[in-house]
Amino acid sequence: MPPTGGQVRGAARRSDGPVDPARLEWSEDGRTLRLLGSWTTAALGEIGGLAAEGERPAGSLTIDGAGLSGLDTAGALLLHRLRERLEGQGISTRLVGLGDHQADLLELVAGKAEPASAGASELGGGRPGSLEALGRATLGWTAEGLGMLSFGGAVSMALLGALVSPLRVRWRQVFRVVELDGVRALPVLAMLAFLLGVVIAYQSGVQLRVYGGNLYVVDLVTITVLRELGPMMTAIVVAGRSGSAYAAQIGTMQVTEEVDALRSIGVAPLDLLVLPKILGLVVALPLLTVFANVAAVVGAMVMSAMMLDLSPEVFVRRIPEAVTLSSLMTGLAKAPVFAVAIAVVGCYQGFQVRGGADSVGSHTTTSVVQAIVLVIVLDAGFSVVYSWMGI
Amino acid sequence: MREGPPGLDVEHPVELKGIRTCFGATCIHEGLDLWVSRGEILALVGASGCGKSVLLREMILLARPSAGRVSLFGEEVVDLDAPAANRLRRRIGILFQQGALFNSLTVLENISVPLKEQTDLSRPMIRDIALLKLRLAGLSADAAPKYPSQLSGGMHKRAALARALAMDPDLLVLDEPGTGLDPAGADDLDELIRDLHQSLGLTVVMTTHDLDTLWRVSHRVAFLAERRILASGSMAELSESDDPRVAAYFQGPRARAARSLEWKRA
Repeated sequence: MPPTGGQVRGAARRSDGPVDPARLEWSEDGRTLRLLGSWTTAALGEIGGLAAEGERPAGSLTIDGAGLSGLDTAGALLLHRLRERLEGQGISTRLVGLGDHQADLLELVAGKAEPASAGASELGGGRPGSLEALGRATLGWTAEGLGMLSFGGAVSMALLGALVSPLRVRWRQVFRVVELDGVRALPVLAMLAFLLGVVIAYQSGVQLRVYGGNLYVVDLVTITVLRELGPMMTAIVVAGRSGSAYAAQIGTMQVTEEVDALRSIGVAPLDLLVLPKILGLVVALPLLTVFANVAAVVGAMVMSAMMLDLSPEVFVRRIPEAVTLSSLMTGLAKAPVFAVAIAVVGCYQGFQVRGGADSVGSHTTTSVVQAIVLVIVLDAGFSVVYSWMGI
Repeated sequence: MREGPPGLDVEHPVELKGIRTCFGATCIHEGLDLWVSRGEILALVGASGCGKSVLLREMILLARPSAGRVSLFGEEVVDLDAPAANRLRRRIGILFQQGALFNSLTVLENISVPLKEQTDLSRPMIRDIALLKLRLAGLSADAAPKYPSQLSGGMHKRAALARALAMDPDLLVLDEPGTGLDPAGADDLDELIRDLHQSLGLTVVMTTHDLDTLWRVSHRVAFLAERRILASGSMAELSESDDPRVAAYFQGPRARAARSLEWKRA
């Protein structure tokens, strides 16, 4: 039985002031459905669902729109769907009480509305299954790996070209990179390296103190920092700071067609954008590493003086007994390799950007992650090589 | 006309009085007055760099003038609190010059964004309404799952127009709608704007350089020069103007060609 004489309301929760919520009202005899309130986007609320409630008598139904205080395309669409549903249930509907303009609007909407049977599948979307996702991801990684290999090849060719004719290299850009990615990174690096030194000295010192081996903190810290932590931490900081910047810069240039413009002028993007960054970073990263090494050792020295009764004089005098030049060089040798890795990954990701802001963002993130992973993998590789060589 | 929310029977949905816009020492608007009548299509024209887009942005709450009064639907917009400003924004639909579709969303999702953010309608309803707007803007349903980067220029504009119409606005603002479209596409867009204006009872404000659009679509043209509205009237009136500054814009060779075409068509 149809709800007799009652009102069915859509709650317009987000009402902002004098909005007349859309309502439906059945007449006493259940043969007339009155439309009340403002059937506009702001006022429709939940009436869409409510309009379907209740059984209807078969036969014909009059829909009376005289009580409408407003009708827009959304309201007209809802009305159209309501009629479609009723007709689908075998009830013929008769529409009365609409103004001329409202009737025109309803006709326009009825003409343009998609048939109700248009399902979601026709509109695309739907998440791929996990197996499909895995397959696609694997193909994606393979393609990415091949792409990077090919990019690496192009870069190597460009580097060889630079060796053969150094005058063709854009040295101005190279020095710019040294300034922006080297000099400007000094403050941040100084702070981080110093704190790293402090932390290592503290952690190892606390343990060594138990055995009375305070002095050996020097050995531990300097060997670790010079050989491993100095180069790695510097590379990670530079990857986050500069690798992301390269990806974002080149990526945005891709989006704004600046890269295409360069090509059309006969400037190889590789020569102007990529090579200077590689060369600049190869110069800057070893220098930054040395700086970070010093800062870390100083941090350790401060901590040792404060906590481990190790005066700076004693500390400094112990250093040459703890490490040799080879410790420094084994660490520094990694720096140029890291530099190439960071620059190549950053630039490669930049060139992969397609579309818009979203793509720039995601490729920038990827460039940092990939660069850091590559740095750590290369570091492990160096350890293996060094152990073979007995260094 | 359209029966709708209060404030619609306001005679001038947009009113600008004494607008002054300065960036540092340079002022691009000085003592500018402009109004838009309910139900009309107003075109805002002027030389490049005269501040049309800035004026448009001031109309739609995206920029503040340095001085002057802006009122929308009878309400002053200076010092509006956020809920009141949003209420006004809901009644304005904007088609940006570059489309400004969200690149990471499909066309259908783009159109649904205003509905999702500003109403409580159910998801199926929102999808239904978004599809309707898509059709109203002249796109077919198979454009719905596409991403903006997969659309042609014309489709991109139509999708952006569909999004502008998502909340059934009372005021439609178009920033150089015909730019970048081929002649047939620009013609179609002109016709679409005319039809929508007619069937939805919209008030339309647009900036444009396109003389054909001015002749075929606009009811009134406001000419922005020397930092204010120098002249306003129908295209026919402005083309007969004696003012040399107006004449330079409306009676140059292109303008005369467009006008003669229009006479032939009439």
